[in-house]
Amino acid sequence: MKTVIETKDLTKIYNSSVAPVKAVNKVSLDFVEGEFTAIVGPSGSGKNTFLNLIGGLDKPTEGQVIIDDTDISGMKESKLFDFRLKNIGFVFQSYNLIPVLTAKENVSFIMLLQKESKAKMEKRAVEMLEQVGLSEKLNSRPGQLSGGQQQRVAVARALASKPKFVLADEPTANLDTESAFNLLDIMSRLNKEENITLIFSTHDQRVIDRARRVITLVDGAVSKDEKFESRK
Amino acid sequence: MRMLLKISWLNLWRNRQRSIVMIIAVMVGLWGGIFAASFMFGLLDQRFKSSIEQQVSHLQIHHPEFLKDYNVKYYIERFDELYKNLSEDDDVIAFSGRTKVNGMLRTATLTTGVNIMGINPEMEANTTSLNKNIVEGDYPDDSFRNPVLIGKSLADKVKAQIGSRIVLTFQDSERELAAASFRVSGIYQTAATGWDEMHVFVLQDELNELLGYEKIVNEVGILTDDHEKSDAFAERYKDRYPELEIRTWSEISPELAYMQEMASMMYVIILTIILMALAFGLLNTMLMAVIERIKELGMLMAIGMNKKRIFIMILLETTFLTLTGAFLGMIVGYFSVAFLGKNGIDLTAVGAESLSEYGFDPIIYPVLEPYVFVVITILVILTAVFTSIFPALKALRLKPAEAVQAE
Ligand SMILES: Nc1ncnc2c1ncn2[C@@H]1O[C@H](COP(=O)(O)OP(=O)(O)OP(=O)(O)O)[C@@H](O)[C@H]1O
Ligand SMILES: [Mg+2]
Repeated sequence: MKTVIETKDLTKIYNSSVAPVKAVNKVSLDFVEGEFTAIVGPSGSGKNTFLNLIGGLDKPTEGQVIIDDTDISGMKESKLFDFRLKNIGFVFQSYNLIPVLTAKENVSFIMLLQKESKAKMEKRAVEMLEQVGLSEKLNSRPGQLSGGQQQRVAVARALASKPKFVLADEPTANLDTESAFNLLDIMSRLNKEENITLIFSTHDQRVIDRARRVITLVDGAVSKDEKFESRK
Repeated sequence: MRMLLKISWLNLWRNRQRSIVMIIAVMVGLWGGIFAASFMFGLLDQRFKSSIEQQVSHLQIHHPEFLKDYNVKYYIERFDELYKNLSEDDDVIAFSGRTKVNGMLRTATLTTGVNIMGINPEMEANTTSLNKNIVEGDYPDDSFRNPVLIGKSLADKVKAQIGSRIVLTFQDSERELAAASFRVSGIYQTAATGWDEMHVFVLQDELNELLGYEKIVNEVGILTDDHEKSDAFAERYKDRYPELEIRTWSEISPELAYMQEMASMMYVIILTIILMALAFGLLNTMLMAVIERIKELGMLMAIGMNKKRIFIMILLETTFLTLTGAFLGMIVGYFSVAFLGKNGIDLTAVGAESLSEYGFDPIIYPVLEPYVFVVITILVILTAVFTSIFPALKALRLKPAEAVQAE
């Protein structure tokens, strides 16, 4: 199977005022296409830092991030913007959407940035929102949607850009159980049916139970890397 | 770009109250600026018009020595030729040849120095608005005998009324002192009280006779159809009459031209100050807008909205905020000035009598100068750019990784 992300001795050291913090410490991991991975670990173990590094949001102190044969660790910032736009889908814990735009416009927005044609954009935005079960809410603004619905719009947007993988930072943290399960159902279905590569950082047991690979970080290093192929 | 325009415009209304307050501030600021500028231009326009109409005219012609010595013996020798030329000149609306002499005015109680102007009533009425400025009595015509027109302020000073006898004393052509008695036929009033106190008008023929001259003209005042033409006009006549001193209004009253230049500068300064003050308000508003949206901006950067677009988005939002206020301010400014320009602002109610001592009318008609709006538009755009740069730079300095985690 095809390797989408490869990290080699990935290290991030924060020079805080007290002492340097090794937030990510020599992490070498491969992520293959179609994986559904949860990155777990205690608070401060480096989950966000790791996600930021493989998402091209931050630069490693040492080591490499190779995405589809491209080493992004040394890439210029302006290039990274473009790289993220074309290759990576993001779902954050909150503030995922542009509040003044409708669900459809929010999904279209990323394709607009990608300079897609207007007709394609329209069609795909509607399609994606249908996929996440929001065909009724095309013209609702984020303020008119529930937290779970907003997260689903964010997922639709992430997928609309046809990324190589989707990074989700605690996407269920602010959701009630029903919304969380609903979101997870949608995401694992997309993972299975569309072979979307998903990487979550999470504390949420509901997510961990669904993931087919669970990587545990402790003090910035990988302490466990478990696969649950049976969860297919 | 269309999307960015849309987002920026909609973003403006996210904090409706704050934006409205700022828009009103810009509106009121510009309204005030426009009003102040128009008021000033109105004041100066009026001053300009009244100076030109009542005293200066567009051009004046003298014997060069007359201007230094102010002696009647320096008169315009080729006046008949000049009269013919001016009468036939299409650019000339009217002109008036005057005999001028310095003298003393005496009443039973008081003696004071005056300029005695011998005029042809009809020509003078066409050139200056002297006939329209009569506030009491009559503007004389040829049927009057020994009439004199005096200014209201002089009449008050020497306690003269219509019909009062006054004696004018002056040097005649033989340098002998001549004195003659005149009857006040009318009292005039211009916007310039000081000037009124110094100038009395008598019939040219009568004055010439008293002076012992056939008919002399020391001064010609000319009204052309356009004050901007004065310079070219002067050049033409200078060639034909090299022996004469031909001066335009701006040479005679340099302060008139100077005041207009000053006014043009002043209003730019006033508007700049207003807009600078507003710029801080706008800056604050936009900085708040950026700070409130750090997470959202971080998300936008993370998903791949590049810095150029982020910059443009914030720039547009500031520009919308500024332009909306500016647009409203200009509309309100335009209509209020247009209204007051027609109806005037009467300042007598607030004790503006003293204005007339400086040659100003107490009723001001604000004047709308189209280029005021051009200058405002330029200044407003500069303000918008200036105020958006800092918030936009602040947004650009955000690191997406940190911004998305921000509390
Ligand atoms: N910008 C930063 N500057 C300095 N230190 C940082 C910075 N960001 C993170 N850290 C430190 O790096 C370590 C890892 O942080 P990180 O946010 O990756 O952990 P996490 O696993 O996501 O934690 P949590 O579960 O609480 O979200 C922590 O010790 C944190 O204090
Ligand atoms: Mg975290």
